[in-house]
Amino acid sequence: MSIEDIIAESRETILQCDQARAVAVAERAVAQGFDPVQVLSEGFSYGIRQMGDLFGRGEVFLPQLILSSEVMKSAVVILDAAIQGGTPQAKAKMVIATVEGDVHDIGKGIVVSLLKTQGIEVYDLGRDVPTVKIIEKALEVDANIIGTSALLTTTLMGQKKLEDELRKNGLRDKFKTMVGGAPATQRWADRIGADAYAEDAAEAVTKALALLGR
Amino acid sequence: MSDIFTRYGDGSPTRMSKEDIRFDLEEGTRDAADRGKIPALTEAELDRLFEICTMPEKAVTVERGDEVVVSFDAGTLKLPVRAGIPMDRSTAILTHERAFCSDTMELGHVDYSYKQLKAIIHEECQAMEHIQLNTIIPVFYGAMPNLGLYTKPDGPIDNWSELLPLAKIAEAKAAQEEAVEHAVKDMVYVASRMYESGADGINFDTVGASGDADVLATLQAAQILKEKYPDIAIEFGMAGEFVLGMHGELYYDGTRLAGLYPHQQVKMAEKAGANIFGAVINTNSSMTFAWNIARAVTFVKACTEAANIPVHVNVGMGVGAIPVTNTPPVDAVSRADKALVEIGKADGL
Repeated sequence: MSIEDIIAESRETILQCDQARAVAVAERAVAQGFDPVQVLSEGFSYGIRQMGDLFGRGEVFLPQLILSSEVMKSAVVILDAAIQGGTPQAKAKMVIATVEGDVHDIGKGIVVSLLKTQGIEVYDLGRDVPTVKIIEKALEVDANIIGTSALLTTTLMGQKKLEDELRKNGLRDKFKTMVGGAPATQRWADRIGADAYAEDAAEAVTKALALLGR
Repeated sequence: MSDIFTRYGDGSPTRMSKEDIRFDLEEGTRDAADRGKIPALTEAELDRLFEICTMPEKAVTVERGDEVVVSFDAGTLKLPVRAGIPMDRSTAILTHERAFCSDTMELGHVDYSYKQLKAIIHEECQAMEHIQLNTIIPVFYGAMPNLGLYTKPDGPIDNWSELLPLAKIAEAKAAQEEAVEHAVKDMVYVASRMYESGADGINFDTVGASGDADVLATLQAAQILKEKYPDIAIEFGMAGEFVLGMHGELYYDGTRLAGLYPHQQVKMAEKAGANIFGAVINTNSSMTFAWNIARAVTFVKACTEAANIPVHVNVGMGVGAIPVTNTPPVDAVSRADKALVEIGKADGL
């Protein structure tokens, strides 16, 4: 079986939420000596991004998306072990929250599920979270990224407040920041000085990995 | 040359060339057609939409004879709550009737969910009776199905938003099905009391905000109400352009609800007995007004063609190509309204 076949089958297992087959494909890839990073990024991760896109179009539904992320996790365990020669890779850490005053978190929950599939250790602080609490948690766990969501134009300022507070406390360079939510845009991210903006869950994964240099 | 003033979906002003506006119109209609599996706008419709987008006037309006009626959601929350004008709900409705010349109006409570209204229903009935005695325009009573309120800690049911990320899918689905039963009872109870207190109609607002179970509950409630009161007027205002599949396996009259777009949603609403359908098309805050309005008009046109009941398109902040800003700019709002009515053939807004 060629690497192209392995990649194609990896994608299929995600789209079909087939856990047993995903594990088998990952094991086969490792046994045949294929590059596990390539299998992960071009196969399984690509499949997850496809699922995210289909979800964004109303063509697959949340239970399927969650199931596919579980399938992905099973494959990641095998490929991660191969990447590190059996030693578990140090996980990147991300603190994520819906900003203070905003109780919308359906979208954030989906982002969290997809981020976890990439081996990122996600600390989800929930909704209506004060800026100070977000920063405290990020310091406590030594996070790489802080992600915030806001659905309302009135609460969008919470994302700017985070940037301001990080700068004020000399912490801005310690963390990468990502913003999302209906009123957020790349223009908004640029204006407040956030490191990245993601339009949907699939893009959040891509942007987070880019921030982590993966 | 970038000579046309326009905006992005977040309200940011910009200037674009005519070629770029035309390109975004074509991309917008293509996106809607692709997602909804519906026809794209014709060249003639795109030409007209281009004219509307590039009209030099700050505000535009429909041609004489194309005027449409308006209905409201969160009606009495607009002036007293969002605008912060100190007036009671009765005054707000009279202001809409006598100063704004609104065709209809909606009485709603600040706790705008059917579940919450049970406890204060006697006060709401009294408010409706008082308002009906003082107004001429039809006054609806409205609130949201808001299935999320039936989950812990606000209600008795396990929270599917917590269960799903834990991959407890069967439990999450069962919780949603249980919530449907509670919500149907509450919606039928509150709507019945308000109708019997003189409401000219019942508005189910932001249907689907909690996903496909939210839609199923509303359809079932509407069906029961229609059987109980054959003359009751029911308006459905949707939450988003497609039904979010939080459950994914819920059906109404043999049709899976998850993933339905406006032209399909309206048929479900009709079957349940709705009299007015409030189509929603999400505004993408990163894209231009041209892209968003082409998309919105494409979806609305398909919806009005499929519908046998009036379609009142949602044109508030963040929907119907209206920018996501607290006070939507008149240049964008008036152009969206004109396009949705003249090309999308909306019956109302």
